[in-house]
Amino acid sequence: MKKKKTPEVWICGIVSVFAFLLLWQIGCSVSELGKMIPGPITVTGAVLKSMVSRSIGGHTLWIHIGYSLLRVLTGYILGSALGVVVGLAMGWNRVVEAFITPIFRLIRPIPPIAWIPISILWFGLGFQAKVFLIVLASFCNVTLNAWAGAKSVDPQLIGAAKMLGASKSQIFFTIVMPASVPQIFAGLQVAMSSSWTTVLAAEMVRSTEGLGWMIVTGQTNLDMTQILVGIVAIGVVGFILVAVMRRMEDILCRWNKGKR
Amino acid sequence: MQMEQRKKIEPVIQCDNLCKTFRTPGGDQEVIRNISLDVQENEFVVLFGPGQCGKTTFLNMIAGLEKSTAGTVTVSRKCVTEPGPQRGVVFQSVALFPWLTTMGNVEYGLKMAGVKKEERQKRAQKYIDLVGLQGFENTFPVELSGGMKQRVGIARAYCIEPEVMLLDEPFGALDAQTRYLMQEELERIWQTAKRTVVFVTNNIEEALYLADRIIVLSPCPCSIVKEFEIDLPRPRNYTSQEFLHLRKEIDATINSST
Repeated sequence: MKKKKTPEVWICGIVSVFAFLLLWQIGCSVSELGKMIPGPITVTGAVLKSMVSRSIGGHTLWIHIGYSLLRVLTGYILGSALGVVVGLAMGWNRVVEAFITPIFRLIRPIPPIAWIPISILWFGLGFQAKVFLIVLASFCNVTLNAWAGAKSVDPQLIGAAKMLGASKSQIFFTIVMPASVPQIFAGLQVAMSSSWTTVLAAEMVRSTEGLGWMIVTGQTNLDMTQILVGIVAIGVVGFILVAVMRRMEDILCRWNKGKR
Repeated sequence: MQMEQRKKIEPVIQCDNLCKTFRTPGGDQEVIRNISLDVQENEFVVLFGPGQCGKTTFLNMIAGLEKSTAGTVTVSRKCVTEPGPQRGVVFQSVALFPWLTTMGNVEYGLKMAGVKKEERQKRAQKYIDLVGLQGFENTFPVELSGGMKQRVGIARAYCIEPEVMLLDEPFGALDAQTRYLMQEELERIWQTAKRTVVFVTNNIEEALYLADRIIVLSPCPCSIVKEFEIDLPRPRNYTSQEFLHLRKEIDATINSST
């Protein structure tokens, strides 16, 4: 059973975050390494300012987050949908599995960012090239998990469904698919972090906006505050994305609680 | 007298010289040797034998979940080749669909058969009530106790209105108290909605409480040692003279066979 967070846990969490911010602030004034970067107060000020004024490359922070999110979500949804279909097909049908497994095993270890040059060659510098990379990043993780999920369905459940009169296709849609959902969700979570890292890398290589671009231009202009604003935004957005995924899983996999 | 009449009718389940050998890397393992068994309509037959003796394998062959190496099973003249709604199975591990509620599990078979929602929920409700689970229609299996899960399993198998019910040590995982209760419940359910039943157990009290006929099986390879017709009046008393006497007699049979 998933435990509810006690007040103690909340207090510990808040204390730890404040301790980190305090150490950062102190570090900025006493250590040599710290003196090169702005402290949390400066960064917070810059974050707030960039939310309302077009202070970064002619855009507000929201616009940069929006660009990165749009790229991630488009690629993520396409890649995950494809991954679920291919993974379930591999787990359900031996012929499909036999054909796809070798190619999949070869493509999977290639990190998505290795495709950056090819993506630029094929799709140019814009939206499509980034989406292509994120499709790759999410596809492999989701496929792997959907495949494993469909393969590991309890054979007794399939026996029970047959006993109750289910046809082969009914077994796929009413047993194999729901039984694979927790595994697919595990894949979706990994795919989300992987997509998020990939979009930032892609933006750092070639882009005219987005959080990855913010960091790289900060480096070029020696603007430490802009770099840190970008890093903070990446952390916070990533945190929110994962939290949303967890919440969705809690709702969709209510029946599976206690097994996680 | 009643038994005499029954035997004139053609049996519902006919097992003819069933054999099962598992091929393992370490060589062939004979699990079942030449079992022939007829079960009459509405008869409650208990397969009684020690653990791991192959009685579950035997039941699975009647269910169609496992193929025999030799011999045939026919149920109502149809040769059994795969599992189907003609034979409802209650599994030892329950095997409920964890993502479906009690109602979802019980109505599953009707849903697959294309029965309209209103109609199938009405029929499922009848069996949910029969097993005493009213109020738990929207509960997921993870939130139910062991005994309640098995009730759902029984209702699910009953709901497809099979010709025969096959129960594989359904109460094996329950504590003693719940087990007695479930035995009484099953007896009541069976009296209310009569079916031809094959019930597997390794518990002699359970066998005597429920059976019209007990088939005593020997351990590996599994074969029939002896049959006992039990015509004690129902519901039975676990501590009556006749009950204890039969219990001794069956005990003696097992001891002499091993």
